[in-house]
Amino acid sequence: MTLEQSLSFEEVRRVEQFLLREARLLDDECWDDWLLTLSEAIHYWMPGIENRRREDKAGPYTLEHMAFFDDGIRELQRRVSRFKQPSAWAENPPTRNVHLVSNIEVHAGDQEGEYRAYSCFINVRSRGLDEQSQITGRREDVLRVEADGLKLLKRKILIPNAMLLCKNINTFL
Amino acid sequence: MDNNKHIPLRTIESTPALGNLDRICDMEEGRLSGKVFWDQAIYEQELEKIFARCWLFVAHESQLPKFGDYLTTSMGEDEVLVVRQKDASLKVFLNACPHRGNKVCFAEAGNARGFICNYHGWSFGADGGRLMGMHESKCYEESHFDKSKHGLREARVATYKGLVFATFAADAPSLEEYLGPMTWYLDVMLDMDEGGSEFLGGCIRSTIECNWKIAAENFVGDILHGGWTHDSAAKAMLGGPVANVGELPESYSVNWNGHGYEFATDVVGNAATLGERDINKYLHVLRPKVAERLGEFRSKLIGAISSFTVFPNFSFLPGQNTVRIWQPRGPHKIELFTWVIVNKNAPQDIKDKWRRGAMMTFSPTGVFEMDDGENWEYCTKTAKGVVTRYQDLYVGLGMHTRLDDSELPGNVFKGQLNECNARAFYQRWKDLLQAPTWADVPDRNGKLR
Repeated sequence: MTLEQSLSFEEVRRVEQFLLREARLLDDECWDDWLLTLSEAIHYWMPGIENRRREDKAGPYTLEHMAFFDDGIRELQRRVSRFKQPSAWAENPPTRNVHLVSNIEVHAGDQEGEYRAYSCFINVRSRGLDEQSQITGRREDVLRVEADGLKLLKRKILIPNAMLLCKNINTFL
Repeated sequence: MDNNKHIPLRTIESTPALGNLDRICDMEEGRLSGKVFWDQAIYEQELEKIFARCWLFVAHESQLPKFGDYLTTSMGEDEVLVVRQKDASLKVFLNACPHRGNKVCFAEAGNARGFICNYHGWSFGADGGRLMGMHESKCYEESHFDKSKHGLREARVATYKGLVFATFAADAPSLEEYLGPMTWYLDVMLDMDEGGSEFLGGCIRSTIECNWKIAAENFVGDILHGGWTHDSAAKAMLGGPVANVGELPESYSVNWNGHGYEFATDVVGNAATLGERDINKYLHVLRPKVAERLGEFRSKLIGAISSFTVFPNFSFLPGQNTVRIWQPRGPHKIELFTWVIVNKNAPQDIKDKWRRGAMMTFSPTGVFEMDDGENWEYCTKTAKGVVTRYQDLYVGLGMHTRLDDSELPGNVFKGQLNECNARAFYQRWKDLLQAPTWADVPDRNGKLR
């Protein structure tokens, strides 16, 4: 399928709405609803970025290298189940999140019923009285129409940082 | 060739020890004060008397297989380059040009024949770090400059079963002496399998606003926090709480010169937190072979509930196979560098499971590490209050539990729920801050409570 096969306005709108709703579900800690936006076959991937020279063929990241997320549905469910434990001491009082999503571009996917979406995000988290951390990056998603609606099948998250400038990522991006 | 012999270095006198160290760190009584986590003057002394003096972990040999392979890291706040030489040895250089001090290598890893400073074009060979040439080299000749007398400053380098350590202290004891009998325990991680260990690709870096000692102390001997701090993570990964460490039939804490290892003998207690049955199975299948290699006792430690810190800031968890350094960045901040260590001969799918498992548990997105970072930051930040800073903190758990008749190497104490390793760690810390030279550092082995 080529890019000339342009999508209808409705299709583009549907994917945009999906991404915006997802951001709101995360901000509102609607973890179970968020899990339902994911395909059972999801690959949710955020590789670690290496600070290498331009001519270095190794490149800034690979599938084999360490990652922040390299998850299937089981891993994502486990992460959510920690958030939901009353003994997740570091989440009480809660971390307050804002997920901003922009620069959304939607294309037809490689398979029938799939979309490829590019987007940028800013995640701002605050904890306690005065803690704030911000992560910004780009995402490449594959979404798929499944029996019960549109689902996220693949996500690649790239941040510009070779070192995370905060202590953790206690959210999804 | 040793560059330092060509470049006579003017020695710096050790700065005088700070007063009050005995008041704020009294390990006879098991009392510590938060000032050690907050004070800038103490931190400056640590850089000089601990980080510029001790043997520090810089790399695993598997990260640099070929001539010219390099990586950059830091020793304390001193940035260094670790480079594989033509003769297959490893050299460690200051990553700073001896002309104006600019950084000579900005990439975190790669392969190079040399390094050229961006400022005035001084260039250094990867093999030996000697000065090869520079921009406008003719003008130097006119001032009788002898480039054979210049190069990147070298550290002393030594390895132990794949781990590469370096020090800038000419008077430091040998690495063998520095590690002492703790190598017997290091072998559990490094030498459980024929072929030894390797690091999987890449390093994950993050920053935590805590003092470096809190993190190092956590791994030197604090499993006590596990059952409480990590309850949520254990329930997420195992579907139940952390094993009740206090009820395990046999466990120990051992230390030597500030290094410490606390461990149970439950084979797979740590590994189980990865929630990967295949990893438990791999360890159980391997165990009889480990018993042949290292003996029955050590074969029970290969993935057991345990943690290890090599003084001052190199730590790892057997079982989760996460390896890390806590890089000091001022008294209130660390950069955390983490890697995954596996047996070189393990099947690829087992290596991949460990890579993901370490990510899921002990990494910035790890369900265990999230609760640690939060605790460590506030153990540090509360000390900004002067009253809080001088509050006596209790580090007395397990006083008088030394097992004098144990056949195990090192200073052996009964049980993992014991702060003996923390006491040994802080005692070593204070001894180094008070000693003008390595020769003045007292031997506390056999005497700590």
